[in-house]
Order: sequence, then structure tokens, then C-alpha cells
Amino acid sequence: MSKDILVIGGGIAGMQSSLDLADMGIKVHLVEKLPSIGGKMAQLDKTFPTNDCAI
Amino acid sequence: MLDVGRHPNIELLAYSEVEKVEGEAGDFKVTIRRKARYVEDDKCTGCGACAEKCPTVVSDAFNEGLGERRAIYSYFAQGIPSTHTIDADHCRQLNGKKCGICAKTCQAEAINFDQEDRVLELDVAGIIIAAGYDVFDPSLIPEYRYREIANVVTAIEFERLLSASGPTGGHMDRPSDRAVEAEIAGLEKKAEKSQKALSKLEEKFNEPSDQFYKKYQAGEYKDDEDRKKWADKYAAHLAVTEPLEVLKKKAEAFTVAKRLAFIQCVGSRDFRFYPFCSGYCCMHSIKEAIISHEHEPETTSSIFGMDIRAVGKGFEEYKIRGGNNSNITYVRGRVAEITEGPDNNPVVIYEDTRERKVKRQEFDMVVLATACAPTKGIAELAKTLGVELDKYNFIKTSSLSPVDSTTPGIFVCGCAESPMDVPESVAQASSAAERAAEIAFQTDLEKEKAVA
Repeated sequence: MSKDILVIGGGIAGMQSSLDLADMGIKVHLVEKLPSIGGKMAQLDKTFPTNDCAI
Repeated sequence: MLDVGRHPNIELLAYSEVEKVEGEAGDFKVTIRRKARYVEDDKCTGCGACAEKCPTVVSDAFNEGLGERRAIYSYFAQGIPSTHTIDADHCRQLNGKKCGICAKTCQAEAINFDQEDRVLELDVAGIIIAAGYDVFDPSLIPEYRYREIANVVTAIEFERLLSASGPTGGHMDRPSDRAVEAEIAGLEKKAEKSQKALSKLEEKFNEPSDQFYKKYQAGEYKDDEDRKKWADKYAAHLAVTEPLEVLKKKAEAFTVAKRLAFIQCVGSRDFRFYPFCSGYCCMHSIKEAIISHEHEPETTSSIFGMDIRAVGKGFEEYKIRGGNNSNITYVRGRVAEITEGPDNNPVVIYEDTRERKVKRQEFDMVVLATACAPTKGIAELAKTLGVELDKYNFIKTSSLSPVDSTTPGIFVCGCAESPMDVPESVAQASSAAERAAEIAFQTDLEKEKAVA
């Protein structure tokens, strides 16, 4: 049996869970329907409340 | 984002969708369709030479339709993977017309018009749904006249205008002004073309067009066919240049938007649409007002809302700092209507509940803080995965297991579960990762048991 995990959606939530799992040594398949990952957060200029760059 | 693309344990399947899921926790069989990009991902270097040469201009979804891209494109400049994609709906070659310019331009020979969708099957132990949300469509609220009044925009559209890599390079140019500028550019192109034709005729007859035209109108050259054609061409040229001059004069007065209104709870806390509070919109508006003020120190902002919900670490302080340092006025009152005043300025009609008066105020631009709506494809995805949705169409969870869906082995995080901001999404994502890891390691343990 495989111990891989499938993550559906490459926005901030999908990216974070993928990275966490990958860092634990688990193989992750990250599926995103758009041509690039990033999701809504990539469209944001800055994030509150620290005004950090979103990308 | 870059880390995700580079991590050896992550297989990135962008431009793909889940088609079928079978099995149970610890042993799912998943069918995934990798949609054809018509570009070989192992060859494309992401240089963008193809997009520079592509003749087909398409509205750019990443910039919320405020900018343009080509039919072959990278979704956004820093996008990962950087592999370009051909938009099959708009590509000339794929729609039976003669083109193929991108294939000729591409030095890596990555373009492949014959590429087909690929279907692959995966065995996985667990699944995490992080399908996100959609921005609520404010045109459903007739009194706000979104799409009717050019300078009424959504918060995410405003975000693209604020962005240095966005369609305006971070200048607060108003959509109505940008429309005029686009019209000017179009007319200038036309005028240049007709001017070229006129110059040839002027050379031929050795006379400036305007002088000739006066004589022609006075009745000279009545029977001269060639000169009649010249006169028609000049009249057509004038029909372009005269409105062009008017528009240019108008454009001289354009400045960036300095008087901003932010309207809260557009679609949320509204029983006609979503009764819930979307949670992040108050802070989002404050942030946009603060950044606008950083871009242009003369900017003043009014935030209209029932109350400002600054619940989170450092949020209340951020709100107060905005009021003190960034010319933000918080107005307690719900906006009843937006109309259009002179110079395409939106006029906000609202009740100031502190003074108990109905007021009207004119702005340069109005930003609608739109609700966090469930994403369109979620019902189909939930059906494929066999998980339940709640009454709004977010993935159903319970308060004591907030990242577990109704099906064991399938977890959820981010706005697919409920509206939430970035820090909360990140926290929930780590939580869902941990729950999924439990399943993954359990299968390891079971394997060991079986061997023993």
C-alpha cells in the first residue's frame, strides 16, 4: 500500500500542507487546476497585518 | 511557492483535475487528468518568447480582466511551474486557422499542437482538499451597480491595481480613465495608418491634404476620380483625429484615484446571499487603504461597515494605526446605493448611524469587500470524493475535528472548509497535513505488522 498523500488545490493552504508532509518524508502529489500554483494569495499585493509581500 | 516546485517529495501536477476516487482511508485509487498545455513541460524553459510573438490578445484572468495576455501564456510572471500554456479556446492554430508563430519562435521546440490530455492513476493513503474559494459576484446586488459604474471594483481587482507587477504597475489609475486611454491608443493606431496613406497621396499630388480638401469642398476637382478618393480618405482621417484630440484633452485632467470608499459585507452578513461573516474582508479593506496611502500620501479612505471586525493577533492595532496614520475614516453605516456622478465619480448613499442621517458622498473609486463564496467546482469535487457539504457548500466538518471531512482519510483546510484569512489557512493546512500523516504512517505500521 502506498503512503503517498494527494493534495487538491495549490493555494496557500494546499502549498503549506504539501510542504509539511514533504518535510516529514511523505511523498505528495499536488493537483492544481490552473496552469500555476499560488492561488488567490499570489494575486494579493501584500498581506495584513504586517504588510509582507504575498509572493 | 518556489519551495513547493523544488521539493523532491512533491510531485506538482498543475493544470490537472481529479476525475475519480475509489477506495478507503489508507488505500485510495485516484484518477487524474493532466490537461493538454500543447507545450512540452520538459522542454519549455519559460522564456516567454512565444507569448511576445503570439498575435491573439485575451483578457487576463490573473489580473481579474484588468490586463491582457496572449493565447500562449504563463499564468503569472512568477508562476510555478513556469511552463507556458496554450489557451485552446483562443489559439488560432488550434481553432483551424493558419498560425503556428509560437512554434516557429520557440527555440526549445517545446510547442506540440498534437498533445492530448494524459490520464494517470495514483495510489494514495490520504487526501487533503484545499480547493479554496471564489470571490462573490457583486453584480448580484443591483444597488451597487458593479459592472455598470466603471469605477466600482472588487477588493481583488483593487489588489491587482495596487500591485507593482499588476496591469497599472501599482498606480491607482481608475478603470474609466484606463478605458479612455485604451480608446486613445486604438484611435492613434488608426490615425497613424490613415496618415501613412495620405502622405503617399500628398507626395503624388504635391499638396498638403488640408489645403486640397478646402479646395475640394469649394467645388474644385469635381470630375477627378483620384482626387475624390483622396478627399474621402481625408474625411475618414478627420473622423478619427477629431474625437482623438477631444479624448486627449480629457485625458490631460486624469489623476490617480485619491478619494476611496470601501464597502464592507458585500454578499456576506446579507440574508439575500450569505448570512455568515467572511472574516477577512474588514482587515483586507484596511490593508488596501493603508497601502494606497503609502503609494499616494494624499489618499483619503472611508470604510463603510456595520462594525469593523479586527479579531486576530495585531489586527486591532493595525486598524487604529490605519486611522491615525493613513487618513482612514471608519463610517458606521450600511451603504444603500451607489450612483454615478460627474467625471465617472461614484456617489455613495448611506445612512450615518451615529448621526442618524442619510448622506451622499462622492469618491474617485469604490472598492467592494466581497464575500468568500464556495468555489464553483466544489459540489462536483465533493461528489467525486464522496464527502458531504454544509448548507453553504463548504466541506462539512465538526467543531471538535475541524479538518476531518465526513469520509475517513479525507481532510480539508483553508477556505474550502470555511472563510478564513492567510494565517488561519496556514495553521489549518499544517493541522490537515498532520492528520494525513497519521494515516500515511499507519499504513507503514500495518505493513510491518503484516511482515511480523
